[in-house]
Amino acid sequence: MATVLLVEDDPAARQGLELALRRLGYAVRAAETGEAALRDFRDAAADVVVLDVMLPGLDGFEVCRRLRRGTDIPVIMLTARGDDLDIVGGLEAGADDYVVKPVEPRVLDARIRAVIRRTGRAGAPAETYGELMIDRGALIVRRAGQDVSLTPTELRLLLVLSGSPRQVFSREQLLDLVWEHDYLGDSRLVDACVQRLRAKIETDTSEPRYIQTVRGFGYRFGPV
Amino acid sequence: MPVRTRLVIAFIVVALLSALASSWFHTLIGAYRLPAWLDDVIFGPGWLQRLVHTDPGQAAPHPVRHTALIFFGVAAGLVLAIITTVAIAASRRVLLPVRRLARAAQRMSGGDLSVRIQPRGRDELAQLVTSFNGMAAALEDKVGELEQMAARARQYAGDVSHELRTPLTAMTAVVGILHEHPGLTGDAAEAARLVRQEVQHLNRLVEDLIEISRFDAGTAQLVTDETDVANAVGRCLRARGWSNVCTDVPAGLTARVDRRRFDVVLANLVGNALRHGGPPVTVRAGVQPDGRGGGQLAVEVRDHGDGLVPAAIPHVFDRFFKADTARARSEGSGLGLAIARENARLHGGHIDAGNHPGGGAVFTVNLPLNAPGSL
Repeated sequence: MATVLLVEDDPAARQGLELALRRLGYAVRAAETGEAALRDFRDAAADVVVLDVMLPGLDGFEVCRRLRRGTDIPVIMLTARGDDLDIVGGLEAGADDYVVKPVEPRVLDARIRAVIRRTGRAGAPAETYGELMIDRGALIVRRAGQDVSLTPTELRLLLVLSGSPRQVFSREQLLDLVWEHDYLGDSRLVDACVQRLRAKIETDTSEPRYIQTVRGFGYRFGPV
Repeated sequence: MPVRTRLVIAFIVVALLSALASSWFHTLIGAYRLPAWLDDVIFGPGWLQRLVHTDPGQAAPHPVRHTALIFFGVAAGLVLAIITTVAIAASRRVLLPVRRLARAAQRMSGGDLSVRIQPRGRDELAQLVTSFNGMAAALEDKVGELEQMAARARQYAGDVSHELRTPLTAMTAVVGILHEHPGLTGDAAEAARLVRQEVQHLNRLVEDLIEISRFDAGTAQLVTDETDVANAVGRCLRARGWSNVCTDVPAGLTARVDRRRFDVVLANLVGNALRHGGPPVTVRAGVQPDGRGGGQLAVEVRDHGDGLVPAAIPHVFDRFFKADTARARSEGSGLGLAIARENARLHGGHIDAGNHPGGGAVFTVNLPLNAPGSL
């Protein structure tokens, strides 16, 4: 049973989401403010953070940035407006996905499942591409011998792309395979995640070696 | 000096000049004894004699005739020139402010309410200019005020919708629990179902209000992607469970559109056809030449019902428009077609509504194959 850390300042919305998530089988820890969330985060042992953007004090973007500094816990932003500013801000802060309020519990459930899923392939041998080592069985990625710490979404994106080297994936395909979105997923999610992944595995993000952009089509892994 | 005084003076000057000229001619003709042939040929016998005091039957001497004729012509031309100059100068003084006023009025009718004219002098025309400026200022103030009011109203609609989202978040989260609760039976279960249905309806309404307020505020953005049209149409229909809609979209037809917005346009048009038109509903797509060597994506949604009432056609895209005012509210928000049109416009395209000659309403969306946008 996964544990959700829910950060929402409005008592009714917090309580409502808590009830719905419990009913869906999650353990829920609720926090009213960003400060409380950052404080409780360690002992909550949460698997995923559902984070409201508009919070008194530290806003959701800042909380997300601070969480990212120390952990790779998946973060889903709860945007009240569905405004582009909120969405772009959340993705820049390092959020894995976002949902727009008011959200249907089954949609939130699907998103949570997608971002916490770590799908490996047991017994698969570790693959090496240049300086990069990908172990699909143990779900470990190393660059030049150093462990690279990835969020589940970043890891899945890397596994999908490197699973078929040189094959071009469209943003739409990646949204489907990694985020498990319906066909109207936001392609900016993919772009933001690629940026974060590049920052972690590429030596020079302006000239990426592993995750390459195919202009007008999407992304591909290699050729290395 | 008032215009009237100026005109009176101008007329007096002209009258004096002509009086002077006529007496001068009189003297001139008398002195030089104008040619007799003028007298005979043009004006009839005796006329000149009476005028120039030549004795009857006696002609003016030859050399004098020519000199007098030239003199007469030059003098007449000179006087005419002086009088014309005076008249033009006087009319220009009068007409110049009128012309400036006309230019200003033209600019104003073109929408530039900030236009003002510098008044000169203190005559009636200067007064007219001052009144014009006053009118322009009043008009500008009024329009500014109205625009502000409209902006406030739009902002208000947007704000209210945002505020509604927070309570709706709580309600949307829990209403399912209530609905699925096995302990609720009979009336209680029916009430729970109704609450759930209306919460969903309220969600749609708020969503659409926020969407349209984004268009009003000019903050709607286009995120375009190369899109397979047949695929987009198929997925739009499948996602909503509309399996009874026939489609005719050529394979391989692609366009650069905002996928979410394209889906919204299509869903609103098909949803509208299913609710208000008659079955079967068909979706056709193709490329239409735009007359400039390029092409436009044309998507046609047609139903086979009674069609639109002609008087309603210009209003179908109005917000909350209902062709039949007596009808109870439908499951749509009443903003669907307005949102569809705004989305088409954002792409640089448009939607037209009409009736098919073979019966039923037709909505045609025209979008550029390459909409401007990011990526």
